[in-house]
Amino acid sequence: MSNILQIRNLHAAVEGKEILRGIDLDIAEGQVHALMGPNGAGKSTLGAVLTGRPGYEVTEGSILFKGQDLLAMTPEERSWAGLFLSFQYPIEIPGVSINNFMKAAVNAKRKAAGQSELSPADYLKLLKSKTALVQMKGEFIKRDVNVGFSGGEKKRNEIFQMAMLDPDLSILDETDSGLDVDALKIVADGVNALRSPSKSSIVITHYKRLLDLIVPDVVHVLKAGRIVRTGGRELVEQIENQGYDSIND
Amino acid sequence: MLGRDEVPRRLTLRENDDLHIVFVARPGYSGNVDFEIDIVRPGANLEIAGLYLSNNGDKVNFNVCVRHLVGGSHSRQIFKGIVGDRAAVSFDGLIYVAQDAEKTEAYQENHSILLSDGKVDTRPQLEIYADDVKCSHGATVGSLDEDALFYMRSRGIPFEEARKMQMISFVSDILDRLPESYRNDVISRI
Amino acid sequence: MPQSEDIIRSATQQEYKEGFVTEIDQEFVPKGLNEDIIRLISAKKAEPQWLLDFRLKAFARWKEMTPPEWGHLSRLPEIDFQDIIYYAAPRRDEDRPKEIDPALQETFDKLGIPISEREVLAGVKSKVAVDAVFDSVSVSTTFREELSKLGIIFCSFSEAVREHPELVRKYLATVVPAGDNFYAALNSAVFSDGSFCYIPKGVKCPMDLSSYFRINASGTGQFERTLIIADEGSSLSYMEGCTAPMRDENQLHAAVVEIIVEKDADVRYSTVQNWYPGDAQGRGGILNLVTKRGICRDGAHLSWTQVETGSAITWKYPSTILQGDYSSSEFYSVALTNNYQQADTGTKMIHIGKGTRSRIVSKGISAGFSENSYRGLVQVLPGADGARNYSQCDSLLIGNRCGAHTFPVIRNANPNSVVEHEATTSKISEDQLFYCNQRGLAPEEAVGLIVNGYAKEVLSRLPMEFAVEAQKLLSVNLEGSIG
Repeated sequence: MSNILQIRNLHAAVEGKEILRGIDLDIAEGQVHALMGPNGAGKSTLGAVLTGRPGYEVTEGSILFKGQDLLAMTPEERSWAGLFLSFQYPIEIPGVSINNFMKAAVNAKRKAAGQSELSPADYLKLLKSKTALVQMKGEFIKRDVNVGFSGGEKKRNEIFQMAMLDPDLSILDETDSGLDVDALKIVADGVNALRSPSKSSIVITHYKRLLDLIVPDVVHVLKAGRIVRTGGRELVEQIENQGYDSIND
Repeated sequence: MLGRDEVPRRLTLRENDDLHIVFVARPGYSGNVDFEIDIVRPGANLEIAGLYLSNNGDKVNFNVCVRHLVGGSHSRQIFKGIVGDRAAVSFDGLIYVAQDAEKTEAYQENHSILLSDGKVDTRPQLEIYADDVKCSHGATVGSLDEDALFYMRSRGIPFEEARKMQMISFVSDILDRLPESYRNDVISRI
Repeated sequence: MPQSEDIIRSATQQEYKEGFVTEIDQEFVPKGLNEDIIRLISAKKAEPQWLLDFRLKAFARWKEMTPPEWGHLSRLPEIDFQDIIYYAAPRRDEDRPKEIDPALQETFDKLGIPISEREVLAGVKSKVAVDAVFDSVSVSTTFREELSKLGIIFCSFSEAVREHPELVRKYLATVVPAGDNFYAALNSAVFSDGSFCYIPKGVKCPMDLSSYFRINASGTGQFERTLIIADEGSSLSYMEGCTAPMRDENQLHAAVVEIIVEKDADVRYSTVQNWYPGDAQGRGGILNLVTKRGICRDGAHLSWTQVETGSAITWKYPSTILQGDYSSSEFYSVALTNNYQQADTGTKMIHIGKGTRSRIVSKGISAGFSENSYRGLVQVLPGADGARNYSQCDSLLIGNRCGAHTFPVIRNANPNSVVEHEATTSKISEDQLFYCNQRGLAPEEAVGLIVNGYAKEVLSRLPMEFAVEAQKLLSVNLEGSIG
């Protein structure tokens, strides 16, 4: 089993303030890793750094993604290489329909891989199967990206896009926050349906309830920019019962 | 009415007139665009929209004056555009609500995206002498939204395409007011 | 449901409680304005030659200038500058030059301004150092010794000229040049007294500093000059208040305030402006024509908070030049006009440095036959990468014979910046009024409550005691004669 992601001594800063202070993390193919930790620990920052969000400066360390130097790549190149981030706060893009947005994204990825654009019939087929996965109606793709969406709709839209782009490593940044039980189940079912021996995930969350639905192989606890503990599901129980204070290095 | 047609610049709106104007300043257009509109009967509805795609030293000056001289009428001014490459755009917009012109609703918006070496001056103005009114204006002048740009790129849409998509997104509500054939022509120039 | 006009009509006329006159022996310079008068004022203050030269140069500039006419101020009268007395001061008791005249003590007592340190130490009031200016002179500055132990200089402008001429000379007119505008030029020629404040490097001023301006004599104008310097890494909270007697004549107040905020320093400047606003028929009142401006160096921060309830005419735009990288500024304003008052006020934020930030929150309230305008400029220069401004200007109309206007200007020449402006205009909500009435609040009380809620975002930024005073003023100034 080879590592899809290899992070070594990663330090990163936002507006000159160091948030990540030496992260080491290996994720093997097919694994689901849960990343837990108190607010401000650096969980979302790690997702942002992995996907190359502007404003996040890597000051030290390295990241290999499928053997490539991730830090040398643009955000879109990282996407083409198979990295996906489900945003904690998905962005609204007025005037751009989900349909056009995804068509552009799917074809950009194909082009980068030297493939021709999907025929309209094939694209439609793909679209239909993936909207069904997150239980979205056909009308949904005509709406502008995230504009006027409820919290649950936004997160379902993220999982829909993840399904469309078929990433090798997906990062779910608090995808459960603000979801009711039904929406949570739809999202989790969508994620689970995409699990395979070659696909990996990082699930960032505060709550056991998501990890009961998307069962992780490994659990990490992040505090003040460092991974202070790595273990199995028993860690989730400990945090649920005793809080983050019970976990120290 | 379209920007292609000759636009009457001084107008008086009487009751239940419903007037929609869309003015498009395409790349290469320079000039003064003046609208002076008086609303003199209740029930009138006015919408003036403007779109500017200015570059290469274009100079466009909008001067829009909407006067509500009686109550019970509506107006909306919405001007949006993208300005770069030594172009300079100014927007002077006034909503005037006369004394006793109660139940007036008037809105005014001017939003610009600045690309490198562009310049925008905007002066949205409210001059209001009646109290039972709903009036507001908003103006922004700024760069492309970094977060939206990143969101698109994180989905694999290349930088230049994402930029273009975002510009189209930015002016989409004005584009929606154009007939389809003309709209595609405008989009192709972004 | 009662109409707001009825509510307003039913309310009673409210007295301006600071409208009394102090009977005190005062000396005056002759009425009128010419070089001799300027020399006389300068001589009375025993000023050095360079300062007299500065005044005369400003006077020469002023003679070439014309009053600005762009303000939305139809009731600003043509001012006869030869019909004003430019200097008036309580005569000093030759035998007891150090003591405060009992009449002055009584005046400031009545106004609730602690001009002796004993009152502050004994009382429940929080510790505030006060520079009290009566007509053209400063009569008392408290806590000077305590402050001087930290190297803080807090004194009247005239004393600063005598005791710290090098500082005054270094900074005077560096933010507001003598020829900046018509009224600033006039002030530069004839300014009398005001406050001077210097906070040394790294010092956090341990108490709020304040200036209180009182106009007393008839036929005079007040031309205050204030200079505040916050050296590197220092911080200061500064407050300013003012009142004047009720008179049928207009009196001119043309001030200049300059603030220099050096690297990483932080200055909070708060004003509660309660000059006499004139009577219900629009007779009399102060013409408040003021230039206030600060400059921020790298990482510095300047915050303006103003509550403008007084004056017949207000023409005032406290502004910030964000020269230094990553400097920031705020302008929070409540302006209330009633009867025939007219206010044209706002701010200018000039973004020069990289990563500069500014925020503008303006709340205008117009009642009666008044006119209330927000006027502002946000300018982003080509080098101000990453600059950010957000402005929110709301106007509230009470009654249908007043006006509320918003005149912002945005000039942006930097593609890596974002400037946002929003404004709304609406009337006081009848639903809110009814809700308050139903819960037993009288109409005037309800209006006061709602207006205070509307202004809360600004009021909450004032130092505690000032905020209480400002809340009262808002309610009082709304009572009666609206509509």
